[in-house]
Amino acid sequence: MTKKNKKIAVVGAGHNALVCATYLAKAGFSVDVFESRSQVGGMIGKRKLGEDYSVPGTAHLLSHVDESVFKKLNLKKHGLEYSAQDLKTVSLNPNGNALVINDDEVDGDDITMKEKKEFKELNKRMAKLAGFLESAYGKKPPRLGSDDRDDLFSLASLGLNARMMGADSMSDLLKFIAVNIYDVLNEFTDHDHLKGTLAFDAILGNHMGPRTNNSVITYLHQLTGGVNGKNGSHSMVSDGTGSFTKSLEEAAKKAGVNIHLNASVESISFTDDLEITGLRLKNGDAFDADIIVSGIDPRSTFNCLVGPKKLEAGVVHKVNNVRMRGNAAKLHLALSSKPKFKGISEDELGQRIVYSPSMEYLERTFDFNKYGQISDDLPMEITIPSIHDKTLAPKGHHVLSAIVNYVPYHLKEGWENSKSRVLDQCINQLDGLAPGLKGLIVESEFLTPVDIEEEYGITGGQWHHGELTFDQFLMLRPVPKMAQYSSPISSLYMCGAGSHPGGGIMGTAGKNAAMEIMKRES
Amino acid sequence: MLQQNHYLKSVYETPFHERTSELNILNDWVRWKDYTVPNSYFRVDLEYFAARNSTAVFDYTPMIKHRIKGKDALEYVNRFFTRDMTKIGLHRVGYAVWCDEQGQVIDDGTVFHMRENEYWLLSAERQLENLEVSAIGFDVQIDELTDDVAALGVQGPTSASILKAMGFQEIEMLKPFDIKHYSYHGEEITISRTGFTGDLGYEVLMSNSVALSFYEEMFAKGEIYNIKPAGLEALDLLRIEAGLLQPGVDFMIAEEAIRPGSTRSPYELGLSWLVDLSKPVFNGKAALVEEKKKGSKYTFVKLNINGNKPASGSYLYNQANKKIGTVTSAMFSPSAKANIAYASLHEPWKKEKDKIIAEIYYQKDLEWNRVMEEATIVTKPFFDPDRKRATPAELY
Repeated sequence: MTKKNKKIAVVGAGHNALVCATYLAKAGFSVDVFESRSQVGGMIGKRKLGEDYSVPGTAHLLSHVDESVFKKLNLKKHGLEYSAQDLKTVSLNPNGNALVINDDEVDGDDITMKEKKEFKELNKRMAKLAGFLESAYGKKPPRLGSDDRDDLFSLASLGLNARMMGADSMSDLLKFIAVNIYDVLNEFTDHDHLKGTLAFDAILGNHMGPRTNNSVITYLHQLTGGVNGKNGSHSMVSDGTGSFTKSLEEAAKKAGVNIHLNASVESISFTDDLEITGLRLKNGDAFDADIIVSGIDPRSTFNCLVGPKKLEAGVVHKVNNVRMRGNAAKLHLALSSKPKFKGISEDELGQRIVYSPSMEYLERTFDFNKYGQISDDLPMEITIPSIHDKTLAPKGHHVLSAIVNYVPYHLKEGWENSKSRVLDQCINQLDGLAPGLKGLIVESEFLTPVDIEEEYGITGGQWHHGELTFDQFLMLRPVPKMAQYSSPISSLYMCGAGSHPGGGIMGTAGKNAAMEIMKRES
Repeated sequence: MLQQNHYLKSVYETPFHERTSELNILNDWVRWKDYTVPNSYFRVDLEYFAARNSTAVFDYTPMIKHRIKGKDALEYVNRFFTRDMTKIGLHRVGYAVWCDEQGQVIDDGTVFHMRENEYWLLSAERQLENLEVSAIGFDVQIDELTDDVAALGVQGPTSASILKAMGFQEIEMLKPFDIKHYSYHGEEITISRTGFTGDLGYEVLMSNSVALSFYEEMFAKGEIYNIKPAGLEALDLLRIEAGLLQPGVDFMIAEEAIRPGSTRSPYELGLSWLVDLSKPVFNGKAALVEEKKKGSKYTFVKLNINGNKPASGSYLYNQANKKIGTVTSAMFSPSAKANIAYASLHEPWKKEKDKIIAEIYYQKDLEWNRVMEEATIVTKPFFDPDRKRATPAELY
């Protein structure tokens, strides 16, 4: 069979799935995408808030994108627009002394010249390490214990890249890679607020506090990739991230991908000998396919689409042990006018606003999360996208989108009766940071990790499709022996964030998976 | 239910202990898992010959017993074991091995298809965790019954006669690997025509409450059939003659191995007949398919060695004096009248016509001697009497 005749069905239309589908269609495969929701994009995309407002659904900023993918798919031509780029990070302080980080410059909150220098030094050294990670991101990770030439080559080049960083960076790598961000930041500076702000990037969306091991990897992960080649810089996408999803959809369609919306997949169909024959949809429809590519998380892929009975027990066990504890919630507010945050000027309101006053604060807040409780003061990443994009709210009105961290999926008291309480608590907290905000609220919405699991179909509401830790990273992601986008079922591949290199709006996993599929199936 | 007071004693006594301790005139005990059982009772050679010429009774109670029960039981065992389990019909027993993800043998055991949707696995090692891990997604319930069920091996040419004399109707009609449930003093008792001796013989599973009375009645009825108790030392000789492997002796239990490469796949243990690669999935399949493609690292063989000095622990060489393997079990077989052994050979060991030469050390009046004896590979069992298969079983 030539690849022209091979039919591929992609499960899910998240950004990685669409990237993968588009690459494959461009290579000549016949590709159909099945999405359970009524729009593409998965965790990124525009979302209605009440009648008159729109917000970015879950992800609200682009930071570590893989630009090679964006270029290859020609997303700009297909409609991708940034409403704001190179955002500064404005870090709130309850006492009103905000800290402003702009690339490697930092200002405000009584920061001294010495501390500014320390920040520059930190940035320089971390950027080098992030560069090393990035060099490993763009290709499939090597299989361990393999004697395959490709595997040996990529393992060798990983080693070579580490060596090429120079002796100092290599020693940084060995020293920092498996430890925690708390110890690393303490080594660089004494400025608590600055450290809290930086540590926030390490823990956002991950089940960890600053003192948890592996929190350096997650920090470096945030620094890989970036819009316009600026690593770790944040950008806002126009139309509440809608222009991004729209451009992905256009690029896919242009390449010949058929996208089926409201088409929830029930399971993969097999012959008695476990050869893939296609998909069965929840509405009873069947679709024939030779190859299945799963853009959903590994646990759902194997537990639901394949079913444990069709897999060796060892595989089922490993997949079910992938840690997927979601702990980021999403808060959406529609406001009748611009809020006023303490210590923030009006033109800083459109920047990325962070609330994370210190590492001790983060660690203490995480303690609640660890034990299935919730602190009454939560770290947040806040954006007001309507400042840059007037289409999101009626004239003069605004929308606020915040990722609220340390909101546990497994809340001890259960979510049923707690959701409105936690929403009120978040609003009160914001009202303390931006006095009067409460009175401006027209609409509000709070998505807990459980809501995110239900609506977006991600186990545990874990944004990254699996926590990003050293044992679930590189050749161990999602689980050992499955790190190359393939699976124990022949012709079943994985292309989502659960695979290398992991979560975030990057598109790299989708691209890498497509490359592997082309290699194996052509 | 597992015993709760294990910390008070270092070992448990089996339900037969009251009698076995009387019969154990050598007071020679050995620990088997959590229990103490006789290593030998009076004389190992006579215990051995009882199994070959009349009947020997073994206390198998410490054998680990697992029950797998539920709607998906067949599907479950078929995924757990390497062989085709659909071929083990109702009231039949099958020998089976199971593997880890690397296709390495974890343990071997016998699987009893006890009832519709109910299988029992009898094995040397506890497998509850492996069984539970394997149960994700299956409608099965898994229990360990080791301490609730007493077990005896009744092995030898007169064994059918003894059970018949005890009132177990049509026991002689059981074919090898058949199971039959009987009622005994109001309790269910399960007799299977199985054993670890390669001879006519039965295994009896019963609740602890009737164990002692069964034992006493059997010895009373068995006296004229020369029934004897036998210990684990005699059993080891019998199983080597029968061609049966002992986990932890003939192969490393995969989970206990420390060094990579010290474990064995079923192919490397001469058990390829227990692997059915045509099944869509089973634990270890992917690795075994790969091994089949690439070739195995070891071969397991039965050897007939010249001379009469058992080759226990011997190195094996070819004629060029290159080490090609090691002996795992060895004995001089009184029944086969041959110096027999099992050995694991490194692949590829046979270049053209390699000889196999065993380096055997033995003592004479405390003096160590060494001989180099040539060995030949045997493919048939060392000892394989017709009575093992004859149905109806011989009655006396």
